[in-house]
This record gives sequence, C-alpha cells and structure tokens, in this order.
Amino acid sequence: MKHALHFQAQFGNLLLDAQATFDDEIIVISGENGAGKTSLLRCIAGLEKATGSVQMGQTIWLDSVADFILPTEQRNIGFVYSEAVLLPWLSVEKNIKLGVKNGSGFQKIIADLELAPLMQRKPAMLSSGEAQRVALARAMYRQPSLLLLDEPFSAQAPEIRNRLRHVLKAWQKDFHTPILLVSHDTEEAKSLANQHWHMREGKLLVKVKGMLKNKVVNDE
Amino acid sequence: MFESLFISLQLALVTTLILLCIAIPLAYVLAFKSFAGRTVLEVIVALPLVLPPTVLGYYVLLMIAPNSMLGSAWQNLFDSSLAFSFSGMVLASILYSLPFAVQPIQQAFRALPKQWLELGKNQGMNIKQVFRHIILPASKGGVLVASALAFAHTMGEFGVVLMVGGSIPGETKVASIALFEMVEMQQQSDASMLALILLAVSFVMLSLVYSINRKPMLAAS
Repeated sequence: MKHALHFQAQFGNLLLDAQATFDDEIIVISGENGAGKTSLLRCIAGLEKATGSVQMGQTIWLDSVADFILPTEQRNIGFVYSEAVLLPWLSVEKNIKLGVKNGSGFQKIIADLELAPLMQRKPAMLSSGEAQRVALARAMYRQPSLLLLDEPFSAQAPEIRNRLRHVLKAWQKDFHTPILLVSHDTEEAKSLANQHWHMREGKLLVKVKGMLKNKVVNDE
Repeated sequence: MFESLFISLQLALVTTLILLCIAIPLAYVLAFKSFAGRTVLEVIVALPLVLPPTVLGYYVLLMIAPNSMLGSAWQNLFDSSLAFSFSGMVLASILYSLPFAVQPIQQAFRALPKQWLELGKNQGMNIKQVFRHIILPASKGGVLVASALAFAHTMGEFGVVLMVGGSIPGETKVASIALFEMVEMQQQSDASMLALILLAVSFVMLSLVYSINRKPMLAAS
C-alpha cells in the first residue's frame, strides 16, 4: 500500500516539514539531535499537532483541510520510544499484552526477542536492554498498521543488536507493516533501509542513492 | 461511650466510601481538564480547610432544613427529617472532608508520567481503558491516602456534626461530642478512655498516610 505524509508542525523555533511517500517497507531516519526526528514520529502518531495530511493506505489519519484528526488510539500504531516506557506494577507479559485484544504470534515474538524467561518479571528487575526489547515486543504484538521506532536498539549490546535487526526485517516481511525507524547507526541504516530519510533542521529530506533530494513527492 | 464511638466509626466509613465515588472523578477533572470556572471549583473544594466548621454546619443546616428544597424532598421521600439525622451528618461530613479526599488523588493524577498516558493511546486504549488500567492503578497510593485522611478527619470533626446532628444519643451523638459532654459532667475516667481511643485512631490513620507517602511507587509493589 502507498502511504503519504504532507504536513508541517511548529516546535518552538523548529518548523517540521514532512513531504514524503512510502510503501510497506522499512524507512530509516537519520539526522542530528534536535533536527526533529522524534517530533516527526510523534506527529505521525498523532501525539503532536500538525497541519496538513497523513494518509496510510486507504485510511486518512490527518486532513487539516477537512478539519479531521484521527485520534492516536484509533491509528493502530506501534510506538517504541528510545527509553522504554513500561508500567512498573505489571509483569513483562502483561506489559506486552497491555490494551491488546487480538494480538498474534506472542510466542514467536518473545522467542525472537529473547524475552521468554522474563515473562513474570517486573520492569524494575530488567536491564535497560531487556526493557527496550519488551517495549518492542509490545509494539509488534499488537499487529500495528505502522511501526514507529525511535532508536529501538540503542540500549542493546552489539551482538544482540545485529540479531534484532534480522528479527525486525523478517517480521516486516511476514506482516508487510511499514516501519519508520530513527537511528544514528549508519550500519543499521545500510542493513535495514529500503528507503532512507534525513532530517535537517526540521526538514525531511529523502536520500536517493546516497544523495539528499529535497523532493516534494506527490501521492500518485 | 461505645455507642458514640460506633456512630463515629459508622459515619467515617460511610462518608469515606461516598467521598471516594465523588473525589475520584472530581480529582480527574481538576487534574486533567482545563475549563472556565476551574479555579472556582478548586476553591470550593478547598474551602472546608479554612472555613470555621460552624459556618459550614450553618449552611448545611439551611440546605437541609425541612422547609428547604432538599429537606422537603427528603421528607417526602423517606418520611423523616434530614436535619438532626445520621444522613444529614453524612452529607455535612462529605462536604467537610472533601478536600482531604480530593487533593491527594488530584496530586497523584498530576504526578503521573506523561509517557504512561501516551502509552495507553499508543496501545489503542480509549480514555476509559486508560483510566482503568493505567491512571487508577498508578494512583493507588493517592487513593489510599485520601481514604485514610477522609476517615480520620471525619472521625475528628466536632463543630459541623454538632450543628447538623444535634448530639442525639444513639443517633447523632458521635465520640468527639460525647467526650465534650463527659468533660462537662466531670466523668473523668470515661473521658480519658475515649480521648485515648480517638488519639489512637488518628495516630494509626496518619501512620498509614506517612508510610504510603514514603513509597512513591506503591503501585509498583
């Protein structure tokens, strides 16, 4: 399916400007700190106000002209923050299943992410890397129509990191879920990206064959 | 003596239970919503903290007098007077202890990490589900503190219940009023016993509050 972002949003002095289209693929987003990578994901999730349009396949998420905003909870996203957000009073298993009615492939996900032995633990008993993988498992388990990952492997040891990339890639192939992944890691970008975006001072630049192109992409 | 103590406990229990049903939604509105008249609502909730109990009692009496709207409706419905009755005292106690129930819950709601609320939305939960599965469990400590404070504060009230209840033995004479009358009638040993019991109840309740407050992540246990 085709997806299209055409929106702007103001964050203090930073004007976020996103004009891009993508398929059911993995897009790696790079850029310096403060360039608007996280804000871009938050706008797409509907957690921040934006003006313009967001269309995911046949579904409209944002259409400022029609004054339409689909609330975050109806967008069916999976969102992993760079610092894992887990509810401390719930076990790992309950954190992963939070709010999910029709999840799928629970056993496979926790096996792939090496979480199986941790199911009954509370978040306080997890390392930061484990907590991050729990957050990733939670986002994958709910079968989102878009997966937003903000430096999802930052707390992982290098050898696990590599494995996780393969897991993510295989999962994307199985479910055809588009993934927007923020990463500082150029190796990560190379091994994962079908498309590469670069954020510079709030502007989304599409990288084509290693060249930054400030293209305004039209839907059709 | 034990009769009055029993009435006090009963009053505190009923008041606390009803208060929780009122305080939780009220705290939610005050913590998360912005609307015109918010400050006025906050002031009204906090008013019993500074108002002389007799002033509050006076207005409650006016409100529930047999010729008032509420008083006459009650009379028609239950064929009994709301003034100088247990139910009237419950109503007055709810108003009197309202800030003690609302404020700890409101603070707990406000202290919630923003990411937890976002997490609920990201996971597709509607506002009801977010409240039930995230906000409320995360604020368990605040709700417990509110209950303990409302209970202890209701046990300790004097002026309001005297005005509204009228100290009818076996009906509206609570422990704090009984103590006052014992002292007046120089029943030394009864008075010291009752005073000690009331002191103990307050001590236990406040110990509970402070031990809960020392564990900010009570919810995590």
